[in-house]
Amino acid sequence: MQPKFNIDRPKVSDEEINKHKDFDKLVKDFKEQSIQKAKSDKSWWKNKSIQYSAVIAGITVICTVTYFSLFNNQTKKTDDKTITKKEQSIKKPTPSKFINEPFEKIKVNYTSYKVNNSKGAEIVHPTNSKIKIPKNTFVNKNGQEIVGEIEILYREIHDQAEIIASGVPMLYDSAGTKSVFESAGMFEIKGMQNGEPVFIKQDKPLTVELASKQPEDRFNQYYLDTTAKNWTYIKRDNPVALKLPETKHSESNAPLVKLAEKYELAINAIPKRIDSVKVVYTTKINKLEKPTQPAKPNKTAGRPQFELDVDYKEFPELAAFKNAMFEIGNENENFSKDLIKVTWSSADISEGPKKGINYWLTLKLRDRTEKLVVYPVLNGVDFETASKKYEEKFDKYKTLLAKREANEQKLKAEMEAKQAAYLAQQKKLQDEYVREKVRIQQQMTSSINSQIKSGGISAAVSRVFTVLSFGFYNSDIGRPLPNDKTIEPIFVQNGAEKIEPYLIYLVETNRNMVITYSGSSSIKINIQPGLPYTMCIVSGKSVYTVSKEEFTKVANGTGTTFNVTKLGDEITDIYELKKAMGIGQS
Amino acid sequence: MSFNSKYHHSAVQLQEEQVIIEAAKTNPEQFAPLYDKYYKQIFGYLYQRMDCKDTAFDLTAQVFLKALTNINRYEYKGVPFASWLYRIAHSELMQMFRDKKNKRAVNADIGDLRHICEEVEEFYLEEYIPVLKKAIAELDGDDLQLVEMRFFEKRPFKEIGEILNITENNAKVRMYRVLERLKKAIVAK
Repeated sequence: MQPKFNIDRPKVSDEEINKHKDFDKLVKDFKEQSIQKAKSDKSWWKNKSIQYSAVIAGITVICTVTYFSLFNNQTKKTDDKTITKKEQSIKKPTPSKFINEPFEKIKVNYTSYKVNNSKGAEIVHPTNSKIKIPKNTFVNKNGQEIVGEIEILYREIHDQAEIIASGVPMLYDSAGTKSVFESAGMFEIKGMQNGEPVFIKQDKPLTVELASKQPEDRFNQYYLDTTAKNWTYIKRDNPVALKLPETKHSESNAPLVKLAEKYELAINAIPKRIDSVKVVYTTKINKLEKPTQPAKPNKTAGRPQFELDVDYKEFPELAAFKNAMFEIGNENENFSKDLIKVTWSSADISEGPKKGINYWLTLKLRDRTEKLVVYPVLNGVDFETASKKYEEKFDKYKTLLAKREANEQKLKAEMEAKQAAYLAQQKKLQDEYVREKVRIQQQMTSSINSQIKSGGISAAVSRVFTVLSFGFYNSDIGRPLPNDKTIEPIFVQNGAEKIEPYLIYLVETNRNMVITYSGSSSIKINIQPGLPYTMCIVSGKSVYTVSKEEFTKVANGTGTTFNVTKLGDEITDIYELKKAMGIGQS
Repeated sequence: MSFNSKYHHSAVQLQEEQVIIEAAKTNPEQFAPLYDKYYKQIFGYLYQRMDCKDTAFDLTAQVFLKALTNINRYEYKGVPFASWLYRIAHSELMQMFRDKKNKRAVNADIGDLRHICEEVEEFYLEEYIPVLKKAIAELDGDDLQLVEMRFFEKRPFKEIGEILNITENNAKVRMYRVLERLKKAIVAK
């Protein structure tokens, strides 16, 4: 029947609407309804029709059981045949398990932790998630407290590749409305002792603080009910900021910092040691005795002379010049013969411009001062005697000088050897430092890679779960299933070889979402054009991927044939699947 | 025509609303702010689709009673609480029509129909009204909902998608197809 169509119907005023608002009545009705419901729950068995129904149901059950007992063998034979026929005609395994791990080799591995039940534990997983276990929390199937160690098996599922490999279902049915989960992180936790499952006391739940890379506050917590085959809503998830990054950063750099402290201290100390060696040896060299070169006696050149009384202690080089006269040098341009006629009140001799060769003669008379360069000279016998003495002293001087030079060379060589040893030590330390630094960096890179592989890096928040039962937990949100465009995909390898999939995983790459399609005949997938997707296809024991680019190309066109890339059969590492699907590489 | 909505909430508003919902789960008295906030919206939604005002008020009361009864089953899905209330309202409305207690009605203003003409790139003419009325009345339930939400209640596509539990894009695609059909009806006139 077609609806009635009204045009420009008068609006209802706010005043009228507000008049009908009656919250007290709502609460009253709610309470009355709750009381009625409670009464009807208690009295339902007293209802005659229910009692009759129960009797009829009982009889039906008995009849059914008897029938199946009688005809069991026949039915079994038929089933066996069906199975044989199926095995012959369809080799494709049909996924039937609720949690269906699709790959033989690629797994999301569990980490095993041993916990003493009487002590409890706080486990820090490599992803920075924490598992807090109170004391005496585990019981056996009879409810008795477990004695000794139990094994906790724990794994996390953070991205689309891990969702696929774990086989965890991502479809959610909320009162008949189906949606697909977008995940902010999941984990599975199990407990065992000697191969037997253990249980958690209801008043002593575990706490799992799941480190999540998804910081947004728009997810709920769910528990996977494997009996009801659906996720059960727990509560709204309230992520808390993870305090770790700063600490983690400094902790992760700690080996490098420690190494730098150790080596840089030793390396930087060496130039100082080299300097101090120089100081020590320069002092030693300076302390070596310096022989004084004797002055060579000069024979008079016939120029005017002064006879002076010289203190030989002050000028030891003149010791050889006994009876020496001081002859005026040619360089004295101001000299006039008149100077000789003056009777000077004082005449002082001091070291001249050429040390050990000439002297300054300073002559004073009242205010008058004259300064002349003079040379010590000897005359006659004195010169010859002085010359002999000079020769002797000069020989001695040369010996002493040679000895000093030898000692100086020796000390210099010692100094240079020590400095060279320090430089060699410095180079050795520098080389060692570089080698060790590279080794630690490689170790850190490998550790980071394994953290990336395990999805445990750059966690932004912690999502806190109260674990009352072992199993799967997630922090997810249901999203409508895409239904804007339907494709019946054909998969080919190397442009021609057709692949028959029995599992297709449609991965939305900009959200942590995976939609699973399965079946033995043609599978149709639904997409929302414009969104980035990749696919993972399982056919027999082989795994294939469709790249993001290939998907976009086909989805934007009119075709339905996707070129696939086969993942090597030898691959066991989930990281390879992530790489092949471009997960976590954007 | 603008599509501003009271429906949409900021992240902080969503968070605040969530706190109220959690409180209402343990104490029904705490439901009051939600009742005050959404009463008019839910009444408007119901009355938009029926003729009798009193029935619309009764049904509004029923929707809120159902919401309060089932609030423990409410799950946050990143959208305002209103989307859950609209779904209850829709379900109650459909039940009422199935029970034949009331007749489905469509309510629109002339301006709304004018806007539909603009959307299908046709000049508005007086004579189009009966054609449009007939074409809209002939739409199936889901498509009629889309037209009502988009043109008569002036809701953005994002909100329509959230209420109908479809993607925003899907709502747009479906709306486009409905408009094509309405255009055909006008052009055939």
